[in-house]
Amino acid sequence: MKGFSGKILKIDLSSGKDSIKSTDERYVKKYLGGSGFAIELVYHGVPEGADALSPENVLAMAPGVFDGFAVPTGGKTAFAAKSPATNTLAESIMGGSIGAELRHAGYDALEIFGKAEKPSYLFIEDDKIEINEADDLWGKDTRQVPDILKKRHGWDVKVACIGVAGEKLVRMACIDCDDRQAGRAGLGAVMGSKNLKAIVVRGTGDLEPADPGKLLEIALRYQKIMEAAPSFNEDTKYGTGEFLGWINKEKGVFPTRNWQESFFKEREQIDPYYWAPRYVSKNKACFACTKPCGKLFEIKSGKFSGVAIDGLEYETLYSLGGGCGNADIESVAKANEVCDLVGIDTISAGVAIGFAMELIQRGIITEDEVGMKLTWDNASDSVPKMCEMIGRREGFGDILSEGVKRAAEKIGKGAERYAVHTKGMEPPAYDVRGMKGHGLSFMTSTRGACHLRAGMYAPELVGKFWRWEGIDRLSIEGKGEKVATMENFMGVYDSVGLCKFSRGFFLIDKLREVIEAISGLQFTEEELLKIGERIHNMKGGFNVKHGITRKDWLLPPRVLEDPIPEGPSKGAKITVEEMNNMLDDYMAVRGWTTDGAPTPEKLKELDIV
Amino acid sequence: MVKMLVPYPDKCTGCRFCEIACTLYHEGKINHADARLQVHKRDVRIDFPSVCTHCVACKDECCVTACPVEAIKIEDGIVRVDEDECTACGTCVEVCPFGVMRMEETAFKCDLCGGDPTCVKFCSMGAIKYEEPKPEQYEAVRKLLKAEE
Repeated sequence: MKGFSGKILKIDLSSGKDSIKSTDERYVKKYLGGSGFAIELVYHGVPEGADALSPENVLAMAPGVFDGFAVPTGGKTAFAAKSPATNTLAESIMGGSIGAELRHAGYDALEIFGKAEKPSYLFIEDDKIEINEADDLWGKDTRQVPDILKKRHGWDVKVACIGVAGEKLVRMACIDCDDRQAGRAGLGAVMGSKNLKAIVVRGTGDLEPADPGKLLEIALRYQKIMEAAPSFNEDTKYGTGEFLGWINKEKGVFPTRNWQESFFKEREQIDPYYWAPRYVSKNKACFACTKPCGKLFEIKSGKFSGVAIDGLEYETLYSLGGGCGNADIESVAKANEVCDLVGIDTISAGVAIGFAMELIQRGIITEDEVGMKLTWDNASDSVPKMCEMIGRREGFGDILSEGVKRAAEKIGKGAERYAVHTKGMEPPAYDVRGMKGHGLSFMTSTRGACHLRAGMYAPELVGKFWRWEGIDRLSIEGKGEKVATMENFMGVYDSVGLCKFSRGFFLIDKLREVIEAISGLQFTEEELLKIGERIHNMKGGFNVKHGITRKDWLLPPRVLEDPIPEGPSKGAKITVEEMNNMLDDYMAVRGWTTDGAPTPEKLKELDIV
Repeated sequence: MVKMLVPYPDKCTGCRFCEIACTLYHEGKINHADARLQVHKRDVRIDFPSVCTHCVACKDECCVTACPVEAIKIEDGIVRVDEDECTACGTCVEVCPFGVMRMEETAFKCDLCGGDPTCVKFCSMGAIKYEEPKPEQYEAVRKLLKAEE
């Protein structure tokens, strides 16, 4: 088998020992790579009931099948662990170059468990593995850390690290590499709990595809298809927020002010059609991406002068922008930079701040308790400050750093009514009241509210995708089957390491020739989707074993009780009956119990032990 | 018109696909250290490609004249290494102002892929173009390289 080394590097931080788990073709046929490998390692590595922040948790990192090879937009690396935010098996995918470097070092994946005695960083250079002291890195931000480590080990090493938030076990802490983040599910806190500040990799080996000529031919073909697509210019010019205006104004499903509204009237500044020409000096890309959606956003004067980020993403424009009623694009960018440097997820941070703002609006908490004027009309000043406080667990930021679910429990006084989340995960920028299948996917997503485990927003907003046409976003009909199928589809995507923005033209069937050119292995479309199904069932099975069942999946009161008040989706909501019908429908399609557990027959069918 | 690789630092996204494509085309395998050009990423603000200028912009930092055994020659405007003559002494690697001379058993370098450079095909933002040489672009890269020292 080409394309894989057949070696998974296992590091026990408690003993300081490393070992190799050997894998073969059967392993690839079963789990594919990337997310599939990472999920397998966590699924089999974490004991039942283990706390996410205990040494027993496993942090896995695995480059997708395409990562490192020449596939446009195929440079994604999966991280996975039991999430401290949701207590579920959660993966987070990033576009940093560390995964490909790990492959050059000779490993298909990395499994880290145990806990280092004191602050440490892991250094991997081909066969050389070291666990080094990190006292001088502790307290440093996500740009200082790689800067110090690259000066020490050479500019060609790749560094994934956590900021202060990960050290302080903030439940929305992220992992950073190349100014790209594995943002969601608090995996940065897992690193922090292990006293692991950074992972440094240098790989000097070759990556040898099974059929180099074919791989280059495929790469050129897709490069041309991608560049010729009508959306190429808009996407690369305006980034992931390109459709913000459309979602907000035409569809009315852009959650605003902690989901009280879904139409942000003050949209103008946060729309990339406004800010890209004014603040963007050039494009930025993930590793191996030739369709860059990243933007170098710089502020050169005023109170936020000096800000320079790879951003702003659509999700951040919502979470730190509209979601907080923040119409000041410079403030959104500043808050984004604070989140990146201190090392927290912009989505969860923004939603937590919007939540606190609504509590102040309703008199449940006061400005005095929060220690600042955290109000909609003072968002520009207060949002960046509160991001810093969350990341450092300072003052009221300490409460929000636990995420909205735990914060609401702590605050009490009915705060739960305004906490928008599923499974303890703050939601991304799609108001599911106006796209009900996407609402189902918020519940079924194994890592909590998420737009990427199924990506149902796209088929529902556009009305068609892949095998389906005439999709009605406000109907619940057939959504169980669509969500389950899309979850399987996305499981394959996360395992090959391809960006989901390519899913319009890189359908599952088209991945087959790429996998074959790299590995020499042949898969049918059904076999690939079966792997996606297996991965999802492993996550689902893990979650049940760790106490997360249907009762934890349910949509928040805001979605069930408050219809969208105005705009194109005015009046839309998901009723309790609709929610339950969709869940029953989904469980039946999955072959799961109504409580959300994969049945023994299903596990056997998928060969999950 | 003589065409060369021309770098545009302000267009580079830092994706490094050019390096991958370069070695896949030349070697049939991927190794960034063997790429005949290099993407530099030092800071969120700075990504840029460094390419071989084939004598256009190297001035006195010249691999052709530095080679003690005259194994580096110019043929039709393209600087090539004669692998039979090369003794792998490393002088050319040291002298190359753009850091793009490579060394395994012998020295090797960019040959413009026979007039149809692979790197350019994947550079959708135009950070590397194949066109009439622009001295100011090579100067811009030199400045960035100097700043790294």
